[in-house]
Amino acid sequence: MDLFLQTLLNGLLIGGVIATFTIGFQLAFGVLHVIDFAVGGWVVLGGYLGYYMGAGLGVDGFLAIPVAFMLFGAIGYLIGPILYNVRNSRTARPELMALALTFGLFTLLRGGMLTAWGFNTHSVPTVLSGESLAVGPLTVPLIRVAAAVFAIAIAGGLFLFLYRTRYGLAIRATAENRQNAALMGVNIRRLSATVYGLYAGITAMAGVLMGAIFSVNPEVGLRYTLFAFFVAVLAGLGSVGGALVAALLLGVIEAFVATYVGSSYSLLAIFGTLFLVLLVSPRGILRHGL
Amino acid sequence: MFTNSKRFSRRRFLGVSAGAFAAGPLGPFVRAACAQVTTFKAGVITSLSGENILGGNLTKRGYDLWAEAVNAKGGVEVAGERFKVDMFYGDDQSNPATGADAAERLIVQNEVDVLFGPYTSGSTIAVQPICQKYQVPMISGSAESPNVWKAKPEFNFGIIPAVDTTAGKSLAVLAKLSNPMAKTIAVIGVNEPFSKETGEGFRDGAKEAGLEVVAYELVPASGDLTPVISKIAALNPDIVAVGGHEEPLINVVKTSKSLNFRPKALIMHYGVTDPAFAQALAADADGTCGVSVWLPSVSYKDDLFGTAKEFAEMAQKKSGHEPDYTEAACAASGLVFGDAVKRLGKKPGLTPEDRVALKDAIAATDIQTFYGPIKFEKEGNHYHDNVQPVPVLIQIQGGKTVAVGPKEAAAADLTYPLPAWK
Repeated sequence: MDLFLQTLLNGLLIGGVIATFTIGFQLAFGVLHVIDFAVGGWVVLGGYLGYYMGAGLGVDGFLAIPVAFMLFGAIGYLIGPILYNVRNSRTARPELMALALTFGLFTLLRGGMLTAWGFNTHSVPTVLSGESLAVGPLTVPLIRVAAAVFAIAIAGGLFLFLYRTRYGLAIRATAENRQNAALMGVNIRRLSATVYGLYAGITAMAGVLMGAIFSVNPEVGLRYTLFAFFVAVLAGLGSVGGALVAALLLGVIEAFVATYVGSSYSLLAIFGTLFLVLLVSPRGILRHGL
Repeated sequence: MFTNSKRFSRRRFLGVSAGAFAAGPLGPFVRAACAQVTTFKAGVITSLSGENILGGNLTKRGYDLWAEAVNAKGGVEVAGERFKVDMFYGDDQSNPATGADAAERLIVQNEVDVLFGPYTSGSTIAVQPICQKYQVPMISGSAESPNVWKAKPEFNFGIIPAVDTTAGKSLAVLAKLSNPMAKTIAVIGVNEPFSKETGEGFRDGAKEAGLEVVAYELVPASGDLTPVISKIAALNPDIVAVGGHEEPLINVVKTSKSLNFRPKALIMHYGVTDPAFAQALAADADGTCGVSVWLPSVSYKDDLFGTAKEFAEMAQKKSGHEPDYTEAACAASGLVFGDAVKRLGKKPGLTPEDRVALKDAIAATDIQTFYGPIKFEKEGNHYHDNVQPVPVLIQIQGGKTVAVGPKEAAAADLTYPLPAWK
C-alpha cells in the first residue's frame, strides 16, 4: 500500500512538472495557431539562466525564476511579431511556414547554446534541491512539489487573467475569431507579441525548475518539445486547463506502469493513451480550446 | 581596343569547349600522376551533436590529442620519413544510422586511410558494415558493448575491454571490500546498447559474486526515474548498480537524493570518471563508485606521450579537465595506427590493397602505451577487442576520482556504507 501511495504521489508530481512547460505552449497555440517547436529551447534557456545565476552570482535558483520571466518574456515579445507575420502571410500554407520557423528557431537556440556554453551537463542549485519531507510512509520531494505548485499557480493565474480582465477577454476573442476581434478594435499584432512573450517567459520559468529537478544541457530541449506536444494533443490543442489535466494523467500512467509493469513499458503506455484518446476524442480530453 | 583578330569568335569558343570537354575525363589520371600525397588522412566519427554530445566531444579530444602530439613530432614515421596526419570529422548526431552515413562520406569524399570509431557502441555497430564494404580499418577508442565484438568485425578494433569483462569483475571487488558484506543488489540499465549490456554485466556479475538481485530495471533514456527509484527504495538493497551515460547517471543521484534514498553503495560504469559528473553533482557525487580501465596514476608509458601522468597533464592543459579512460583510449587508438602503418611501411596515399594490409597490421598489434598493453583478440566473443587492461574500482571522494580496489591498485579505502544524505 505504501508503494501504491508513493507511486500515485510520484505520478501527480511528475505530471505537475510536465504541466509547467506545457501551459504556455497551449496559450501560444490558442492565440497564434502555431505549434511552437521552440518550446524545448525556452525551457533549456531558463535552465541555463538558473545555472549561471547560481554558479556565477551564487544566488538561489528560485531567484532566477522572475528574472527568466522578464528576460525571456521581453525576447519573446520581440520575436512574436515575426511569427505573427509568417503565420498571417499570403504565401501558400502559412501554418507550415510558421511551423518551419519555430523549428528553425529551436535549431538556432540549440546550436547557439552549444557554441556559447558547451556540452557539459549542469544542475540548477536551489534551496529545495534534494530536500524531502517524510509524511507517514511517503517521501515527498520538495523541489517537485514546488514545480507542481508553480504549475497550478500559473494555470490559476492565467485563468484569472483570461477570464477576469479586459486584456484576457481580448485574448480569448482573438483565439476564437481573429477577424471579429480585429473589427472590435483589438490590435492583433501587439496582442500576439504579448502572448508570445508571456509564453516564452512562463516556459523559461519552468526551465529553471526543470534544471533543478533534472539537469540541463543544450540537447535536452527536444525531449521537452516532444512532451509538450504529446500533452497538448492529449489535452486538445489550445486548452490551458486541459494541459494540467492531461499532464497529471500522463504522469500517473507513467508512474504506475514503471512501478508495476516495468519502466521499459512506460513510453509505450504514454503513446497508447495518446492513441486511444485521439481515437475516442480527437479534440482532446476536455474537448475545447482556450 | 579590341581588334577582330583578338576577339573570341564563336568557332574558337566551340573549339576550346570541345577540347576541355574531351580533356575532362583525363583529369583524375593527370592528378594522380602529378600530385604527391604527403599526409595520412584519418576520419573521426563521433557524436558532435545530440544527446551524446558530451561523450562525443570527449572522444574527439582524445583522437585530436594524438594527432597534435604526433604532428608536433613531424608526423607518423614510415621507412625513416615522417608524414603528418590530417583529421576529418563526421557527426553521427547521436544516431547510429547517421553515423553510418557520416562514415561513408568520410571514406568516399575525404578518402580517409583509417577511421577512428564513434563514442557510442550503437553507432559503432552501425558503422562496422560500412568499414567492411569499403575495406577501411577502424580503431574504436570508446565502444564497450560486447555486441560490437560478437559480430566478429573484420575491420574494426577496440581499445577498451568490453563491458561484460569489466562490470562484473568490479562488482565482485566491491562486494568483497564491503564491510559488513553486501548481500543484495538492484540493477538499473538505460535501454540502449551499451547501457543495457552494462546492466546485464552487473546483473550477471552479481550472481557470480553471490549477491541476490532484488530488481533488474530497464529504463528509457528520457524517462522520469522517480518510479523506479521509489520501487528500489522499497526493496532496500545494499548496492544499486547503474548502466548508462552521463545525463541519466546524474539524474539517478539527484532523484535518489530527492527521495531520501541512499543505498550502502552506488556503482555505475562509464561516466563517473568524466569530471563533468562530479561538477554537475558537486558534493552529492561523493561516494559514487565507478569502473575504470585506466587512471593517470598507472605506471605505463610510451615514446609519444611519455607516462600516463604526463599524458594527463597534457590533456588537462588542453581542455582544463583531467582525462578519463575513454579519452586516453582514443588517444591510444592513434598510437595503434602509427605503429601499424610503420610496420606496414607504406607512405601516404594508401591504395585499397594497402588498407587491407593495414587492417592485418593492426590485427597483429602488440604494443605498450601510456594507456597500457594493446593486443587484439584473434577469436572468440571478444574478437578484435583489446581485453588486456585490468578494471579498477574507483570512488569519488572529496570531488576526486580515487582507486579503491582491488587492493593492489587501491590508493584509498572504500567508503562503505555510504552515509545518509545530508
